[in-house]
Amino acid sequence: MNPAATVTGTIAIIGNPNCGKTTLFNALTGLRHKVGNYPGVTVEKKEGRVTLADGSDALLLDLPGTYSLSPNSPDEKIVSDVLFGRMPGTAVPDVVICVVDATNLERNLYLLSQLTDLKFPVVVALNMTDLAEEHGIDIDIPALEQAFGVRFISTVARKGTGLTELIAALPGASTNEGSIRRWYLPELARKEHQELVEMLVRNDRLTEAAAYHEAQLLLAAPAVDDSYHGRYSPETLSHVRQDHTVLHEGGINRHSVFVESRFKWVYSVYNMAVKHRRTRTVHSISDRLDAVLTHRVWGLAIFFLLMALMFQTIFTWASYPMELIGAGFDLLAEGVSSLIPPGDLQQLVTKGVIGGVGAVVTFLPQILFLFLFLGFLEDTGYMARAAFNMDRMMSTVGLHGKSFIPLLSSFACAIPGIMATRTIENPRDRLVTILVAPLMSCSARLPVFALLIASFVPDRHVLGFIGLPALVLISMYLLGLGAALVTAKLLKGTVLKGPAPAFIMELPPYRLPALKNTFIHMWERSVLFLKNAGTIILGVSVILWFLATYPKMEEGTAAERLAHSYVGQAGKFIEPALTPLGFDWKIGIGIISSVLQREVFVSTLGTIYNIEDADEGSTSLMERLRSDVDPVTGAPTFTLLTAICVMVYYVLAMQCLSTVAVVRRETNGWKWPAFQFAYMTVLAYGATFLTYRIGTWIIS
Amino acid sequence: MPKGRMKTLAQTPAGSVVTISRLESHPDTCNRLREIGFCENATIRCVTNGSSQMICEVCNTRVGLNYTTANAIFVLPQDAGKDPENRERTE
Ligand SMILES: Nc1nc2c(ncn2[C@@H]2O[C@H](COP(=O)(O)OP(=O)(O)O)[C@@H](O)[C@H]2O)c(=O)[nH]1
Repeated sequence: MNPAATVTGTIAIIGNPNCGKTTLFNALTGLRHKVGNYPGVTVEKKEGRVTLADGSDALLLDLPGTYSLSPNSPDEKIVSDVLFGRMPGTAVPDVVICVVDATNLERNLYLLSQLTDLKFPVVVALNMTDLAEEHGIDIDIPALEQAFGVRFISTVARKGTGLTELIAALPGASTNEGSIRRWYLPELARKEHQELVEMLVRNDRLTEAAAYHEAQLLLAAPAVDDSYHGRYSPETLSHVRQDHTVLHEGGINRHSVFVESRFKWVYSVYNMAVKHRRTRTVHSISDRLDAVLTHRVWGLAIFFLLMALMFQTIFTWASYPMELIGAGFDLLAEGVSSLIPPGDLQQLVTKGVIGGVGAVVTFLPQILFLFLFLGFLEDTGYMARAAFNMDRMMSTVGLHGKSFIPLLSSFACAIPGIMATRTIENPRDRLVTILVAPLMSCSARLPVFALLIASFVPDRHVLGFIGLPALVLISMYLLGLGAALVTAKLLKGTVLKGPAPAFIMELPPYRLPALKNTFIHMWERSVLFLKNAGTIILGVSVILWFLATYPKMEEGTAAERLAHSYVGQAGKFIEPALTPLGFDWKIGIGIISSVLQREVFVSTLGTIYNIEDADEGSTSLMERLRSDVDPVTGAPTFTLLTAICVMVYYVLAMQCLSTVAVVRRETNGWKWPAFQFAYMTVLAYGATFLTYRIGTWIIS
Repeated sequence: MPKGRMKTLAQTPAGSVVTISRLESHPDTCNRLREIGFCENATIRCVTNGSSQMICEVCNTRVGLNYTTANAIFVLPQDAGKDPENRERTE
């Protein structure tokens, strides 16, 4: 990115979900983009820079996918707010790129017709023309340009075809200013609509274009309730009420008349400009795939098999790069200790910094494999089917399949998961999904699980190809899922009672995955993860090293010195609360220091055990955990049972401040995050206690 | 309107093609349905029909819906609902 280049203007990308917007955005900006949030809501704001034909840079804004400009969900509200300049901190776009899917023009053109009505300067990216060609769909581009009064540029975002032409067309984007709106309303509706437009311009000082749009929303609205007061003048509102009656008496369904009339025109354009050369053969294949993948028995079986496969491969494939990274950090520690003379500084760097940060960074490959898998499922179109399958299960707890995607994304991280709830229209269901999403095991728990499983779960094969370690890992994920569902059921049955929601969800076509987007995403995650390791984890590791080293004790073994330190003292202080869970004070320190975020647990153990075992030279953290014994009783600190208890605790506890912050912003207050934090902590403590009790009972 | 032949989308077997005659639900749900393509007079192809949910094809796109939603959509068999003015398309 060239920060010195002047940024001239803002370009917004808008389009239906799944039309290839993200792919186009990535292709236009490369890695020159950042992901943030719109103020006040957790809708992702994706911005990047694109170089125009004249060499200047412009800001490119990727708006959430939407079917229309009527704000049905928080996501879609963002789109209209940005376009009408109601979004603080975001400039009104100078040009809009409307991405339409060439294989699905009937519906995609609907949104375009709304945009051209509003007289925005629009350039259309007619995307997926490769697929259209393949399906034998002939598109008469000049006819479309004539009908809509804007330029259409053929693109294949996935291959980068047509991007130069698209960029070149931007400065000359037509506003469709002179052309008339070509769709027709029944006479009565047209008359009432026209009057209301004039009134909105006169009384409410809207621009003609905005008034044209608002008038349709007002006339189609269920009722003019209190939420409208203050937004429009009383005179306008009383006129709207009158209109509702007039239209009703005139036998016009005001809810559907606008959508229907517009669709009618769009279809006529479609029929004129689009010809199917031959019958499509893709039907039969997709039909059969859908019949199997969404079958009530096979569909579920395949889903669980895929998940099992995913966790198994995460374990086996990631182990090689992980060993490499681990060896790299060992070498680094050795190199550093030969450079720095023995003493506190050497100890701080090797034990504190390299030990702590290294312990966490080692797990990067596993996290990347998780993202690779999820990206693959998303890209092939399978993810939506999985959500569809899960609708049955979700409806038993009062949610619908759409809530499943946020939950599944929370396997990666609860924050994008919580953001993904924005597609859920019903606010109550959205809140329930937000409240339970952090129970899904995110990638930050993976280092904790992986460390404990690798140290204590014997590597035996159980169910054919699945090893015991992978099975334990899957159980942890299932525990989280189960807890989420039960909690959702409880919430829907009590505080957030509501009817079972309507479920409508688009299922994108099956596609061969283009992993480029996934790789870009993985790259973004790696940068984030490493940045985090270099800041928060580094900081905590350094502080912890100090607290675990001072006050110094001259004589005694390393273990005694550690027990004497601040960390040791604090640990002993909280130990009584942890004994019922079977945890010793070192685990306690791990838990406390990881309230910020979960993977700190691993770096904390890394630092503590490094210091404690200073006498023994370099062995891996896993070895140390296995060989650690209680200095008094001689019993091992960590057993298989302790490891499982720690994992259960981490599955259920809200050890992540970023999630708390996101939930606060999302729900506009401290009430729900506080509730969430409290219920998760109680749940975690209770469940760990039970696991420990039952475990000891079984062993004895 | 030939009421006798009117069914809800949920009662449509897999493989059949129908035309939407009306939507009966909360206005918000109806508008959402319309924008996704389930609008009056639209042609719908039913891809699968499980016992509580189904997949339909509308406007060349597959959409999954549950029976609560599918029961709000009243349909006519293709031949009866055919309106030469409207988008009849052969696949
Ligand atoms: N064949 C083909 N596939 C595309 C094209 N553009 C995007 N895709 C694929 O379409 C899918 C959805 O694209 P995405 O950018 O995620 O859509 P979004 O939901 O609009 O952001 C991805 O699998 C892309 O690889 C294209 O021009 N041709």
